[in-house]
Amino acid sequence: MIVKLIKSRGMRRFSRNRLAMFSLAVIIVYFLTAIAVMLGAVSRDDTKERVGPNRLPGFLEPIGAEKRYDFDKWWVSELTNVFERAARENARAGGDPRAVLDEFALAERTIADGSYEDLKPAFDAMTEAWHELDDVFAEQLDLDDEAFAIRDEIKELQAEGEDVADLQAELEEVEALLAELAPRAEALYQQVEANIEKLLPMPSGFAGLVYSLRTMLGTDSKGASIAAQAVYSIKIAFQVGFVTALVAVLIGTISGAAAAYFGGWVDHAVLWVVSTLSSIPYLVLLAVFVYAFQAPALAEWFNNPERPALALVPLYAAFGLTFWIGTCRVVRGEVLKIKELEYVQAATALGFGRFYILLRHIIPNTAHLMFINFSLLFIGAIKSEVILTFLGLGVKGQPSWGIMISHGADGVTNFFFWEVGAATVFMFVLVLAFNIVSDALQDAFDPKHV
Amino acid sequence: MWSYIVRKLVYNVPVYLGIILLTMAALRVRDPVAGYLGKNATQEQIDRLTQDMGLDRPFYEQYGKFLWQIVRLDFSEESWAQRGRTVKQILIDAIPPSMSITVPSVVASAFIALVVSLISAYFRGRLIDRTLVFFAVLGMSISYLVYIIFGQFFGAFLPLHQQWEFTPFAIQGYEAWTSWSHLSVLGLNIPYPNGIKFENWIEYCMLPVIIGVIVAMGYDTRFYRAVMVEESNKDYIVTAMAKGASKPKIMFVHMLKNAMIPIITRIMATLPFLITGSILLEMYFNIPGMGRELITALIANDFPVIQAFVSVLALLFILSIILTDVLYALVDPRVRLS
Amino acid sequence: MTNAPDAKPVLQVRHLTTSFRTDDGIVTAVDDVSFDVFAGETLGVVGESGCGKTVTSKSIMRLLPEHLTIYGEQSEVIFEGKNIIRANEREMRKIRGDKIAMIFQEPMTSLNPVFTVGWQLDEALKYHTNLSRKQRREKAIEMLRLVEIPNPERRIHEYPHQLSGGMRQRVMIAMALCCEPDILIADEPTTALDVTIQAQILDLMNGLKEKLHTAIMLITHDLGVVAQVCDRVMVMYAGRAIEFGSVREIFHEPQHPYTNALLESIPKRGSRRSRSRRLPTIPGIVPSLRNLPKGCRFNDRCPACQQRCIDEEPELINHSLDRPVRCHFPLNQKTQTESAH
Ligand SMILES: Nc1ncnc2c1ncn2[C@@H]1O[C@H](COP(=O)(O)OP(=O)(O)OP(=O)(O)O)[C@@H](O)[C@H]1O
Ligand SMILES: [Mg+2]
Repeated sequence: MIVKLIKSRGMRRFSRNRLAMFSLAVIIVYFLTAIAVMLGAVSRDDTKERVGPNRLPGFLEPIGAEKRYDFDKWWVSELTNVFERAARENARAGGDPRAVLDEFALAERTIADGSYEDLKPAFDAMTEAWHELDDVFAEQLDLDDEAFAIRDEIKELQAEGEDVADLQAELEEVEALLAELAPRAEALYQQVEANIEKLLPMPSGFAGLVYSLRTMLGTDSKGASIAAQAVYSIKIAFQVGFVTALVAVLIGTISGAAAAYFGGWVDHAVLWVVSTLSSIPYLVLLAVFVYAFQAPALAEWFNNPERPALALVPLYAAFGLTFWIGTCRVVRGEVLKIKELEYVQAATALGFGRFYILLRHIIPNTAHLMFINFSLLFIGAIKSEVILTFLGLGVKGQPSWGIMISHGADGVTNFFFWEVGAATVFMFVLVLAFNIVSDALQDAFDPKHV
Repeated sequence: MWSYIVRKLVYNVPVYLGIILLTMAALRVRDPVAGYLGKNATQEQIDRLTQDMGLDRPFYEQYGKFLWQIVRLDFSEESWAQRGRTVKQILIDAIPPSMSITVPSVVASAFIALVVSLISAYFRGRLIDRTLVFFAVLGMSISYLVYIIFGQFFGAFLPLHQQWEFTPFAIQGYEAWTSWSHLSVLGLNIPYPNGIKFENWIEYCMLPVIIGVIVAMGYDTRFYRAVMVEESNKDYIVTAMAKGASKPKIMFVHMLKNAMIPIITRIMATLPFLITGSILLEMYFNIPGMGRELITALIANDFPVIQAFVSVLALLFILSIILTDVLYALVDPRVRLS
Repeated sequence: MTNAPDAKPVLQVRHLTTSFRTDDGIVTAVDDVSFDVFAGETLGVVGESGCGKTVTSKSIMRLLPEHLTIYGEQSEVIFEGKNIIRANEREMRKIRGDKIAMIFQEPMTSLNPVFTVGWQLDEALKYHTNLSRKQRREKAIEMLRLVEIPNPERRIHEYPHQLSGGMRQRVMIAMALCCEPDILIADEPTTALDVTIQAQILDLMNGLKEKLHTAIMLITHDLGVVAQVCDRVMVMYAGRAIEFGSVREIFHEPQHPYTNALLESIPKRGSRRSRSRRLPTIPGIVPSLRNLPKGCRFNDRCPACQQRCIDEEPELINHSLDRPVRCHFPLNQKTQTESAH
């Protein structure tokens, strides 16, 4: 059946579509990534582990003065915390301050080698610079406020047509002070950051690479790596997409083909189920299925942390039960046509069994529909996962693009776009690739409709 | 025509009975009372709620009773989660907010998508067509939720935050933009608008509508274009050309009237969502419409509300399918007589 | 029947070459085809399925999808002294339906299902005449009466699906002829119809030709039809015109082996009724346009194929008097003196 499909004219036409081939390659890359994740390249712990300050922006975003202050403050306070504990340990007879220092780690990033005494000067220098910076920063903020107030006043007075020369002079004065402060602040920032770097050096070599990959897309509101979550979610997306699409396509093809081929009461029964299920808005239907699967007995079984693979089963079931309807309709229509074709009629006349004809001649000829529907349903599942998760009915307890987008939605109003952005981009590329592939398949098998 | 309508109605009765059966069964897979009351409930509380809802009766009895309720549109049970409100009240209050978002967005998106797809079909195969198709696919590949998040951010949050001059939209929330009077028909209070405050609509509803339109655009345009392309391959187009008809004539007269058949079907198919409202938009923008009520009820295990909402939605869905068939018959002369 | 009834061509097609852009590259469906259509005659165009008959006729009307079609540099379709293959869309619109009309193979789908018959007839008149609405209505009824549709006053309010196949084809003919075109191109007008209806439609067309002095270009698979109604015949094979002649010449003295084979594949006279309506079958298959043989395009199926046929493609040459044929070794050759008698 697969061989026949690959050799068909449509497939050849499809294979000449460059964009579609490229998209297919993209899908394969995603697929391999999903396999790698499954094999443990990114574990679920990796997606939870703290790798830096909360909502650390990713590589494209410049860090403004305010955010730089906040992030440095975070590093300083974390280090202060550790060093204060180490100091207490140091003061205690027979204490081991280095052990305290070793406890602290942000994934691969650990405190520099050397004894507590060796590191103490850098820490002190950092603390001192920080205190000074704190003052400068406060002063900057005050001046900023003042400048802002003056500007407002100027605007107001100008609107009334009054003279603003005095205020202008005042404003210039404030701005001059601000300009004076800027290089001083910059120097202090550098001092603080240099010392942070000394205490918590960027890991080198492979560990360094891993760490920079982890922080590349920033961190979420708990300081966990967004990159790791986005990559881990590929696995979830493939699980959800693959299982649902497979289940739905199988149910849809078999029921659709049987309905069309056998006709009579089989057709009536299938049509009745199809029209019943499609008479409920699909999101509502999904929600009801998900609701039903939250029955305590079922929920206990599926949400058992010892069997994490089962946690998604309710979602698969709800999607699978909802999505097969479209496939069933399409396949039924196609089989009604195939049934009338000469060779099928001939096979019937020759006395081949009905099941034999169905399996051997009819279903293989719907293979392209199965492929098209598979990719459409794959997309549908991924997109619905996001929506259901946002509504609180979807994935729980593990990262997924839906979780990332729902969580990141708050961040957006704090001008932190990376959590939503990363999930969106990862998902967008995959869904786009699938869209292009299924379009190209459709066009290749039905060239009149391009 | 009438016999046609009656036939359609009769055909859909078993479908509807099936829906109710399925819904009621699905909602009883788990014990709704235990789900609602949680682990700390006393046996007495559980028993009382179970009896109130009639859940201790045999299933066929509940089925019959519920069907009877639907026939009379009588949902006078009290909601579990919203004490003091009947299901019917919740239903009626939720309709206007939903409608003020979905009606404009369905109308606007159908209209815009129709225009865009006509442009696309007119220039079929040319750069402009391919660009439009490409953007439609791009648009379809982004999650609905992302549109909403960034729509709210750029439409409402950023303007307020940066104190721009132009801040017409609220970040979220809802305030009635009409006062509603109620018309009592068959014991059901049918609301109708009465006195309009358009600025309220702009403030609370317009942004969700815009987002809804943008989201629908990709899907609708592609669907409509596919319909047009399908039609443009038909023989009658060549006949019209051979007669000397101009391209606009062919597109807007010959093709459009044929294309209206599937397009009407599609628009009608979205009608039930006029009632569900756009669940996501309502959730995100905190608009107390049908979709939001339903999801809140699902999360809060508000069994009477869930059951009634799903059944009513399905009923409306089926009525709109029948309405579609009737409209179909009006547009397509082939259906009319058979 | 003579070769050229009025000796005045209304349409001259010269070196018509029509190619399509496809996924597999450019495909030439009609290759260097030249012929004339004379006023008042019926020109038959015959050939197997896929040989380019429809493409030829649609090229004349310029009905092929513009952005996918390429016409050869030297292609000319001269109508009223103008090369309409290079005419712009507006000029073409004036010609289509008014001067040159066309009817199609599939009466079931060629009419627009959502408009009434009257509306569709009216449309053609609206574009090409200045008649008032009422006059157009009368004209439409008159045309329907002319094509022998009973009850035309009632029929104009009906939709195509309410008519039978034969009636629809009559409506198509009425629509094509309502502006009294100079040329009617009929692309297999009877293929989709029952045998009895087929004969009626052909009679009707023949009668109308006399009445309206329209030249007809009749495309068909069916040599029986050709014998019945045509004056001259053009035989096509794999995108090429391979033989011309009057009906008598073609039937009695076919020169191209392909024409001969076509004729031989028809059951002999007397069994006409029982004849299958399918196109005549000749052993072998038509070469694919993407993959044409080097020499003569018919060489692999030709019973008289020689080395020269494989090496070089024959030109369209008059081997005998005014009988162009595209063959190195034509059959039934007559010398000029012989044919003079
Ligand atoms: N739009 C198109 N694009 C590509 N190829 C085309 C197109 N239209 C026609 N062809 C090709 O041109 C060739 C000639 O087709 P045409 O329709 O003229 O055949 P025909 O002689 O009319 O056959 P029939 O008797 O079956 O109607 C065919 O091989 C067909 O595949
Ligand atoms: Mg043809």
